[in-house]
Amino acid sequence: MAKSICTALREGALEGELAPALTIKDSIASPFGLQVFDHVLSQLFSSILAGKSPSQGLILVSFSRSPSFYLELLKNKGISVASSDKRIQILDCYNDPLGWKDQLVEISSTVTVFREVKHMDKLFNSIIELGRGLVGGGKIRFSISIDSVDEMLRWASVSSVARLLSNLRSHEQISSIFWLLHSDLHKARVTAVLEYLSSMVASLEPSHQLANGQRGDLENFALIEHNSKNGKFHVRFKKRNGRVRVMSEEVHMEQSGINFTPLSSEGAINQGLVPKVQFNLQLSEKERIDKANVVLPFEHQGDNGKPLQIYDGRRSLVDSKQERAVAVEKEESDSQRGEIIYYRDSDDEMPDSDEDPDDDLDI
Amino acid sequence: MAAAKTRASSFSRNLSTAAPSLGPGLKCGPNGTVLLSSGIPDLDKILGGGFSLGSLVMVMEDAEAPHHMLLLRNFMAQGLVHGQPLLYASPARDPRGFLGTLPSPAASKDDKSRGPEPDQEKGLRIAWQYKKYFGENQLNFDGQRDGKHEYSNEFNLRNPLERHFFNGQRVDCVSIQDSPDLSILQDRCTTFLSQLPRNDGSISCAGRIAIQSFCSPQCVYSNMEWEMLSFIRSLKNMVRSSNSVAIITFPPSLLSPSFCKRWQHMADTLLSVKAIQDDDKELAQLLTGYQDMIGFLNVHKVARINTQVPVILEATTFSIKLQKRRYLVLECLNQAPVDGSSGNSDGTSGSCSSSSKTGSLDF
Repeated sequence: MAKSICTALREGALEGELAPALTIKDSIASPFGLQVFDHVLSQLFSSILAGKSPSQGLILVSFSRSPSFYLELLKNKGISVASSDKRIQILDCYNDPLGWKDQLVEISSTVTVFREVKHMDKLFNSIIELGRGLVGGGKIRFSISIDSVDEMLRWASVSSVARLLSNLRSHEQISSIFWLLHSDLHKARVTAVLEYLSSMVASLEPSHQLANGQRGDLENFALIEHNSKNGKFHVRFKKRNGRVRVMSEEVHMEQSGINFTPLSSEGAINQGLVPKVQFNLQLSEKERIDKANVVLPFEHQGDNGKPLQIYDGRRSLVDSKQERAVAVEKEESDSQRGEIIYYRDSDDEMPDSDEDPDDDLDI
Repeated sequence: MAAAKTRASSFSRNLSTAAPSLGPGLKCGPNGTVLLSSGIPDLDKILGGGFSLGSLVMVMEDAEAPHHMLLLRNFMAQGLVHGQPLLYASPARDPRGFLGTLPSPAASKDDKSRGPEPDQEKGLRIAWQYKKYFGENQLNFDGQRDGKHEYSNEFNLRNPLERHFFNGQRVDCVSIQDSPDLSILQDRCTTFLSQLPRNDGSISCAGRIAIQSFCSPQCVYSNMEWEMLSFIRSLKNMVRSSNSVAIITFPPSLLSPSFCKRWQHMADTLLSVKAIQDDDKELAQLLTGYQDMIGFLNVHKVARINTQVPVILEATTFSIKLQKRRYLVLECLNQAPVDGSSGNSDGTSGSCSSSSKTGSLDF
């Protein structure tokens, strides 16, 4: 399913449509956002190089990591940047975002330094210019990846960042765009805005939720350790027909990089929706025993005090009932405070008779 | 007043006009209101005829699905087909481009599968005293069969509206993205509504205002919550004293909860659209026709003009489907017969409302 994200980004936008946009969202509980970003970046770039995508180039806007890191990363993945010089350009907003330094040593021809991060419209223009320089003008498309939107939100307001992203999405030369967001650095509204602007939201969550105060427990160390290397990867796709596709995978950090595997334990989430059956027709063992012990109220008590032997498999039920009835009578007569003396209307009358005493009324 | 019977009383009824003459696309509604069609015949039926002139309709969007655009498209297309002036505001750079996506009215009635219904009605033998209740229905059907100016059309979403409908002077488009505050939009609305004052006479034409994604994050004013609220209030007042209907769509997830509530209170008619998850097996078991559904529509409030009597709907949640991928239909939710293997449930609605995820579904 990380594959489907990469496929969607690779395929890009159809004519007249907004470019697909991916938000990669992580938090302190599951901080693998940067690794996922690197993974998506390298996948997208290799498909651009291989010519599998309508996009002809990639612009990387790096805020939180140095451009040399990315050049190294791509080299380690086996993608030689020197030959792919014409396919990737990095807009360096990391080294000197506010224009404090007088001179900067140029790292490589693929890197352009940008010094005015407070102005989103200038950033927009630089991105477009760089892209056009890379692929040419006209209808040729390129993709954009933004290292981390958090840094942008430091310098500029939410609405200007939103404007930048939506203008990029609606630009006719942009094929796809993706960015990283650390969701706990911002208010909920900011995350909601970025999710509103994107067509795919990939969020990372810890595989085990830990309650806040439990860090000292030995048992929890194992969980914490597990969380530091593994997590859950949920993606929500907004499809063209207006439906939302939700997918989940597990993600593992390894030396070599990041690995996505399908979810091992399924079904726990899905139980909530099935309509709950109102009648439970199966009895557990305990319930069966309890049921057997219930005294039903309207059973015949027997004539003249003798117990009616209705055998129905219950053990000594009638006896115990008889004992109880006798005990109750004794209690009543012994009580000092008050006595309830009840004279039956007629001695022939059976207790709990079904006869209606009003039956003999003539109306 | 005990004089001769031939003497007329000093009170005489002022019957100057029998009924106001109405322009195309308008019809008389209950309580002295005039209605115009929403462009979706099913929605008109649900709301009791259509949108009342002078009411403010608000639609709460779902960030994950573009269904509010379907509602807007039908609304705008209906107005253009009837020659009603239209003001359209959207956060896009070029709102006029959206007009190209408006649907055209369905070609012929034979296309739709709803044709046989009126004939079936005639075949019903209705007891004479009940015919008065069905009279209104039949009027509706008759109305739909005459001439060009039908009250409401079915729109074919696959065919674009012919250009001559919106090339005239009647359509005004505003882009709300770059305006620093709402004064431009306010002025345009005022100018537009000044052409449509409400007199006690006949109404020659009614106007429509459609504002899309009002608090969308790329707009500069989107963090000025009080200003947006006062704009809505002034628009509501202007609309109330003119012959027009305004529809505003907004994504509630981008507003703070208290403002979201305030906006909802501002609306005369409040609708919301919701996305539907793809491949949701539980939902597929729960509802019939799940495969064709593209979303849900909830009716939260229906306009009460000139009356204190609330409109109580039988159902407030409807599924949005595209019939033959062209026509927008709204259907009541039908619960699927519960599968025998999943337990012996009575299938009552009580058991289904326990589903936690789809808590907003209302059977």
